[in-house]
Amino acid sequence: MNQENSSRREFLLTGLLAAGAVAGCSSKKNAFEAGADSDIIATGKKVKLLSVDGDIIEVDEAYLKPVPELPPVSNSEARVGIDGKKFVMVIDLSRCKNLRKCQEACNHMHHVNPGQNWVKVYPMQDAEHTAPYWQPTTCMHCDEPPCVKVCPVDATFKRKDGIVLIDSDRCIGCRFCMAACPYSTRVFNWSAPDIPEEIAKQPYSCESSVPQKKGTVGKCDFCPDMTRRGELPHCVSACPNGTFFFGDMNEDTVTNGSDTFRFSDLIKDKAGYRLMEDLGTKPSVYYLPPVSRNFPYESGLENETKDKS
Amino acid sequence: MENSYSASEEKIIQDLFPQKFNRKGILWVIGLSLVCLIGLFAYYRQLRYGLVVTAMRDYASWGIYISNFVFFVAISLVGSLITAVFRLAHVEWSTPLTRISEMIAVAAILFASIIIIVDMGSPERFYNLFLYGRVQSPIIWDVIVISTYFVISILLLYYPLLPDIKILLQFKEKNGSRLNKFYSFIGSFWKGTKEQNRLSRNALHVLSVTIIPVAFCIHTVTSWLFATTYRPGWDSTNFGAYFISGAFLVGAGSVIVAMYILRNAYSLEHYITRGHFEKMGRIVVLLALLYLYFNVNEYLVPAFKMKKSEDAHLTGLFAGEFAPLFWFAILVGMILPILILIFRRGRRPLPAFIAGIMVVIGAWFKRYLIVTPTLLHPFLPMHNVPENYRHYFPTWEEWSIAIASLAGCMLVITILCRIFPIVPIQETLTEHHHQAILTEQNHEIAK
Amino acid sequence: MRSLNRNIAFLASFVFFFSSLVVFAQDSTKNSLNITLSFYNENNKIPYLGVKVKSKIDGKFKQISSIPLALYLDADSTANLIGKVVTDDNGQAVASIPPSLKGKWSPFTKHDFIAVFDGDKKYEATKADVSIVRAKISIDTSSDKKVLATVYELQDTNWVPLKGVDVGFTIRRMDAYLNINETPTFSTDSTGQASADFKRDNIPGDLKGNIVLVAKVDDNDKYGNLTAEKIVPWGSKFVAENNFDKRTLFATRNKAPIWLLILAYSIALSVWGTLLILIVNLIKIKKLGIQQSSTH
Repeated sequence: MNQENSSRREFLLTGLLAAGAVAGCSSKKNAFEAGADSDIIATGKKVKLLSVDGDIIEVDEAYLKPVPELPPVSNSEARVGIDGKKFVMVIDLSRCKNLRKCQEACNHMHHVNPGQNWVKVYPMQDAEHTAPYWQPTTCMHCDEPPCVKVCPVDATFKRKDGIVLIDSDRCIGCRFCMAACPYSTRVFNWSAPDIPEEIAKQPYSCESSVPQKKGTVGKCDFCPDMTRRGELPHCVSACPNGTFFFGDMNEDTVTNGSDTFRFSDLIKDKAGYRLMEDLGTKPSVYYLPPVSRNFPYESGLENETKDKS
Repeated sequence: MENSYSASEEKIIQDLFPQKFNRKGILWVIGLSLVCLIGLFAYYRQLRYGLVVTAMRDYASWGIYISNFVFFVAISLVGSLITAVFRLAHVEWSTPLTRISEMIAVAAILFASIIIIVDMGSPERFYNLFLYGRVQSPIIWDVIVISTYFVISILLLYYPLLPDIKILLQFKEKNGSRLNKFYSFIGSFWKGTKEQNRLSRNALHVLSVTIIPVAFCIHTVTSWLFATTYRPGWDSTNFGAYFISGAFLVGAGSVIVAMYILRNAYSLEHYITRGHFEKMGRIVVLLALLYLYFNVNEYLVPAFKMKKSEDAHLTGLFAGEFAPLFWFAILVGMILPILILIFRRGRRPLPAFIAGIMVVIGAWFKRYLIVTPTLLHPFLPMHNVPENYRHYFPTWEEWSIAIASLAGCMLVITILCRIFPIVPIQETLTEHHHQAILTEQNHEIAK
Repeated sequence: MRSLNRNIAFLASFVFFFSSLVVFAQDSTKNSLNITLSFYNENNKIPYLGVKVKSKIDGKFKQISSIPLALYLDADSTANLIGKVVTDDNGQAVASIPPSLKGKWSPFTKHDFIAVFDGDKKYEATKADVSIVRAKISIDTSSDKKVLATVYELQDTNWVPLKGVDVGFTIRRMDAYLNINETPTFSTDSTGQASADFKRDNIPGDLKGNIVLVAKVDDNDKYGNLTAEKIVPWGSKFVAENNFDKRTLFATRNKAPIWLLILAYSIALSVWGTLLILIVNLIKIKKLGIQQSSTH
């Protein structure tokens, strides 16, 4: 413990190259301490570098990488999740104009089978005389996920950090979860997915959901692999209009990369809500109503034609 | 027994002894086998290319495999109806029908489990159900309850067979050496002693009591595969009872069909009598009315409210895309059979047989209508998906596999009929004996 | 309206046509790279250099990975080499200044950083540079929950307070910096100082309620990126609340609800118990039969 403390102090003193990276999931006692990059383990190998003042300082090698090299997450770790986190997403409907950059980035990074999407953008109109709007959906990562309830083999599971993931190495392809999900989030790999061979050969990782496999279910995973590296999910960083906000409920903060808000204030000020609250699924995705819009609904129609083919 | 057919014991044994296939029978077996082979080929293609060979897609993610599964589970319930319920209620006329219904039950439950594996996207991981099974999942409940029901059905088929095996073994020259070996293997220990009879009788009683709750479980759990979701058309507290009433109906209908075919094929007119058709006809009417009642509950109540989520689904059934099939299933599966069987003339063998076929066909499409239209009406609109995601019409692979499973089921029943007596010999003899004593007594009283 | 739309569509198709021509033209030669250099001084200890490499492909900027770059201090000669880096999947790389350049770093207040790419099969050779003046920032807090920051510039050998620099006051979060109040930045006065009131009461901190305050100068043209951090106990204590370990219907198989387990096992055991008795019964019948035949 002592040693741990001292290394942490040194770390704070020597500069935070590794700032921003989420603590890995090893079970360190002080994982929740402020500035908690405490999971970076000193290698003992010192490197000499120049300080701002022009002095030569010795630093442990481990702190020098912008993203600390975390060991690949094992299946059992991926099933538990990142300790102390509770991921949350806020989708601001007033910013969406159906550009589908989110979808594009997601499909590209997860090698989703062409023609299928994990992020979907719906043209919504609740009633005849109400205003139409664009509604992107991801997996809702429900706190009481109906899909997880029905899975016969623990192939889809709810983690500590709130994320619902799929283990494609275990999924038997019964598709009960697809029937159970009221948000139509899940897609099935009806054939062997059309992905590059070197991707398909990789061992499957629950946290990156890559590679997708024939006869198994796939869906949005909230990109925990990115979060572990201190980066935002692909859809969040891909949206040029900043529609998606992502963060940790336990920090009460969400960000879309450029704007950062206190989550509780944002939801309170803009009257955020969740989809199909009456079903009791308790989603982790919140929506801000499409008021004072950045774009008229019609501007999103241009993108509708491109995939009619 | 009401048929006053008096024959010698030898005649009865000869009538009921399993017969070799005649030419029609051989053609029937070859035909069914061919259909099964086509189905196997289609399944090979499905294994190779994935479920993409089916018409199922992300919205209609369950198709005729699942509806076929529900159909098989439904049919298998007949075993508990005819054998157990009637046995407990001392309905003696049902004796000649017990064996047929148990055979149907065993074959149907076997193919229910086969077709559910066919529906799996990764069947090679079937063992995961045992390695990682989660008791929270209704699928695991289904796995448990189906295997339980399978074992009970086998036992219920096996126990009453034992005395018959003894009789079969008395005519070794008729059987051929392989069948004799098989008979000896499964039943040479039956001597028909008092103690053996007592044990067997007790066992049958226990089985008859046990199978009823298990049968209710199997179909209720199957209905819960749907009812535990939020989807319009499935989100119903009525579903368990609705499914069970439908299952009893299709089971009874299929027994009438089997009765008619086997009666004609094996000339069993003296054992499966007009009286049986008369009584089974009445039962089908009762069950069809019951099922109709549940249908009214299932559709009228939500239609009265027309919640937004149910609207598209219900109008699709009543007047939209699925309307022809929906009204076909209601009309042919329930109303017409009632209209036929409610009249005495309609309960003669041929019309009853036709009504039975209607019930079975109507029931098959009814299961399809329970599964697919709901999936095509999700909460969030179908948007930005390929055109073939919006509709569902089974591909030839799906049809062949589904039909092959039906053919396979019939093939198993046919083979069971070849090996075992269709009408229990020993029980017929016993009742014949009782009858004779009764008539003698009557004569004496008359004197 | 409709005709206007049509005109726009017409124009757009023209633009698209020509732009695709341009893309073709580029394809036949090589794409050019866009290199961005940024200087970072975090907590006034080890300064480092960040590089981002992008390229316009099919009209869109994309991050380019696996680009080898040589980074130099002040002049692109081997004596001034900071290091060689290769961009990662996000087209980014970082480098710190090695001790060997102490003689070239320490005496001067202003520096140029130069990135050189020698070109390869796909991309043209290119160069980029950025110049910075050495500066630093410090952070302090007062008891009335005010956060203070002072920015200094290096002049000759002295750190001199710097006026008119925009400083942001933030709380460090998982993947973001949350402002401590509504105003995004504050300008420093003649003493080089800026201050802001902490208005994020009850913001969740760690187990002890500690949070990390960060004062930062972002992307300053002259000074680059400067940050200073301080840990203060101004947050609310973190309470881990989670139903992960609870027995629920959506938990893993080991955490099935007790009522469900009792129900499921009692049903399964009673039914299978009965079936077992019936199977034993069969064996009994079999034994009786074999006895019978042996006595005969």
